[in-house]
Amino acid sequence: MGIISLEQTDGLYWLGRYSERVYTTIRLYSRSYDRMLDENAGGYEEFCRDLDIPNIYQSSEDFKTRYPFDKEDPNSIMSNLLRAYDNAIVLRETIGSETLSYIQLAIYEMNKAEKSQAPLIEMQKVMDNILAFWGIADDIMEDENSRNIIKVGKRVERIDLYGRLHQPRENLVREVSRLAGRIGRCNIHYNESVILNLLELVQAPELDYYSIVYEIERIL
Amino acid sequence: MYDLDLFEHTDTVNELLARYGVKFGVYKNNVFKEQLFPFDAIPRVIEKQEFDWLERGLKQRVVALNLFLKDIYGEKKIIRDKVVPEEFVYASSGYLAQCEGVRPVKDIYSHISGIDLVQGKNKEWYVLEDNLRVPSGASYPMIARELCRRSSPRTFQNYKLEDNRNYADLLRRTMDNVNVGGHTVILTPGRYNAAYFEHSYLAERTGVHLVNGRELTVEDDKLYFVDYSGKKERVGAVYRRISDEYLDPMNFNPESVIGIPHIYDIYRKGNVALLNAPGNGIADDKGIYYFVPKMVKYYLGEEPILQNAPTYLPFYEEDMRYVLEHFDSLVLKDVAEAGGYGVVFGSSMTAKQKEDFIALLKKEPRRFIAQEVIDFLDIDIMEKGEMVPRKADLRAFVLMADEPLVWKSGLTRFSRNPDSFIVNSSQGGGFKDTWVLSR
Amino acid sequence: MKNLHFRYAMRISFDSPVTNHRFTVKCIPQTDERQIIENLVVSVFPNQSLSQDRDSFGNRCIFGHCEMEHQKFEIVVEGDARTGRSPCETGDASHMLGLYRYQSFYTIPGEKINAYFEKFSFSENMNDYEKGVFMMHRLYEDFRYVQGITNIQTTAEEAMELGCGVCQDYSHILISLCHLAGIPARYVVGMLTGEGASHAWVEIYQDEKWYALDPTNNLIVDDQHIKISHGRDYRDCLINQGVFTGCAKQTQEIQVVVEEN
Repeated sequence: MGIISLEQTDGLYWLGRYSERVYTTIRLYSRSYDRMLDENAGGYEEFCRDLDIPNIYQSSEDFKTRYPFDKEDPNSIMSNLLRAYDNAIVLRETIGSETLSYIQLAIYEMNKAEKSQAPLIEMQKVMDNILAFWGIADDIMEDENSRNIIKVGKRVERIDLYGRLHQPRENLVREVSRLAGRIGRCNIHYNESVILNLLELVQAPELDYYSIVYEIERIL
Repeated sequence: MYDLDLFEHTDTVNELLARYGVKFGVYKNNVFKEQLFPFDAIPRVIEKQEFDWLERGLKQRVVALNLFLKDIYGEKKIIRDKVVPEEFVYASSGYLAQCEGVRPVKDIYSHISGIDLVQGKNKEWYVLEDNLRVPSGASYPMIARELCRRSSPRTFQNYKLEDNRNYADLLRRTMDNVNVGGHTVILTPGRYNAAYFEHSYLAERTGVHLVNGRELTVEDDKLYFVDYSGKKERVGAVYRRISDEYLDPMNFNPESVIGIPHIYDIYRKGNVALLNAPGNGIADDKGIYYFVPKMVKYYLGEEPILQNAPTYLPFYEEDMRYVLEHFDSLVLKDVAEAGGYGVVFGSSMTAKQKEDFIALLKKEPRRFIAQEVIDFLDIDIMEKGEMVPRKADLRAFVLMADEPLVWKSGLTRFSRNPDSFIVNSSQGGGFKDTWVLSR
Repeated sequence: MKNLHFRYAMRISFDSPVTNHRFTVKCIPQTDERQIIENLVVSVFPNQSLSQDRDSFGNRCIFGHCEMEHQKFEIVVEGDARTGRSPCETGDASHMLGLYRYQSFYTIPGEKINAYFEKFSFSENMNDYEKGVFMMHRLYEDFRYVQGITNIQTTAEEAMELGCGVCQDYSHILISLCHLAGIPARYVVGMLTGEGASHAWVEIYQDEKWYALDPTNNLIVDDQHIKISHGRDYRDCLINQGVFTGCAKQTQEIQVVVEEN
């Protein structure tokens, strides 16, 4: 019916954020996982520090299984994926069954990854499904506003993660300008000064990552 | 007899059903779990002629039930004329005094009715139960058909069936028929409801908003949907999938936090349509069931086309005698229970249980009905590559729009356990598509 | 016949602000065969959004809501009543009354009420009205008026077990007994001459007429009572109901004054 409620707006935004978080953290995890094949210990401390999540892991082995799959750990990839699902499941009539099915499929693949000897293979499929989810959301969702809210959530999350991970300037410049271009095109209440501050921050001679993360967290 | 190609695709269809999240929720030890609803690809097939007959019978029954509801909350002629004893009405938890004298839009009470039927070995159909409150289940065969066609196109080239994917159109027509101006919405208690998949799927297919109680508000005697910016849009019809009790804390259960305060008050004024009408529980009460064929005669002056399973009311002395004499061959149902609970078979009781039960029956005769155990016509399912027979029922859907509409399909549920007669999905059964041949 | 002036005032104070308050009040007397209500003035606060209707029992209701923060809810109903104009009120045909013939939430009898009822012996020529009066007299003798023992949640059976209570309990027990005797009976909320709170009594049905009995005072209602509402039991006659956002503690004060003009 063309109008959406506050709760739906919220759901779309967080669906964008969590799907992005799952996608990017799988990529990061894959890299760490690969490194840990050679080094017997360590590596994950840095990972936790960069992402600003508590290091609750006992060993590399512990990290390798709990960080992706532990449903009890609110920072695990699985927990984030389930939160994406929680937001998606209440949006079936807004995003469509077809779109929703890719989040569902991502969960099935993640469950398979947990039992696998080579979890990166199934996790690749989780990423494939998230990419398909974004693609189809963009392709078949009729309501432009809803589409844009998901994208805004995705960009906000990406800037947040890039800031924490001290990504190079060009990545941040690109993401901030994409967000700035998108956010005004949907009906979401946001803090306009944050966009202006971010545009300035990414141009500063010395990148202040802390401020970037601080700003992006207060965008809504 | 039928093309086997589809039957080999049970697994494919089940995988697709999982992909689309076709699930129902259950609570186990107070923890919410989503379960897949197992699908069996062998359809229940109903010949055109037979379904035409069922269709006439279903329309007749639902029209009579609607007239009964109008009468009970209005003039009460059926009580005056002693066709239905009043104790069956007023002692039932389904009767809601708040509905006295309230007339729903166009006098339609049961917009969406789910009539549960079984077929006996003698090929006769019997109505087991009427569901006039919030019957669920139509979405399952609807999506299953879509996925079966995808999995086995050859089968569907060979058979000419009624397309059951039109359920959304029928539903939309039913909702629009009573809309008093404004949007139509589907009101859900939330994603932790057993039928949440259905709520969201029907919203998607009918193109209406799925809302929860927090998103609707009553103002100036009208119902509004509040958008993200606080702007309000009028709502003219609510297909509510929450029970009467939780609909409005100001008129029903005051503890309800999922309802909409004052929605019932504006409904009484005719400013919003509620599908189905509150208070319908009186017409699908297990005790009232006995009287439905009598209602058909009373209100329509016609012979009932569909028959009930042979039922006895221990309330009547004659029936009580029969029940006591034939106890072992009967199934006894507590009229206050639903969902396959409160159903006991005389033959499966120990001597002590029987004694206790009969004492209770004599003390509270109105509380129970007794029915002959129907010798079901079994339906085959595929289990581990083999066809095995199972008990199955059929929930037919009748929608009351500008005219009564019967959905040319239905939900066929089967029991998982070969010895069980109980096909309720909350007790672990599966489902099948129901094919109605189009010629 | 009396010419009475009445003033019903209810005030709820919240110890911290509440918002999004929705309420329904049923405290407006209506003209019927027994009473004529005149010069009626109803004031409600907050009153930004009000509407009204009759509930399915025929009682007048006011609905309202208030989004803004407030700490007080108040309703005052004032007017004149000419009472005692008829000993009874015309009721519907008997087949319409099933609603009042069966036990409801508050009146469901248990062991105590059943045992109490079994001790009654009605003489053969008694009609329903006389049976009702007979039971009222017996109840008045056997049940004590004591405040503070029962509360608004107390059922007829619980009150019977306690052996004492207030007007709500007297009325629920009498209704329960009437139903056991097969007599249609209903719960009435209203006001009584003098000062104090609202009052409750009972109406029983005989020959398509409703007769009012006040079991708390052991009398047949004449011209000292002003009726506000009726229903099956206390639940149907709630004077006010509300839901709101906020975690405030509420204190309710009710002041009823009925005096002769």
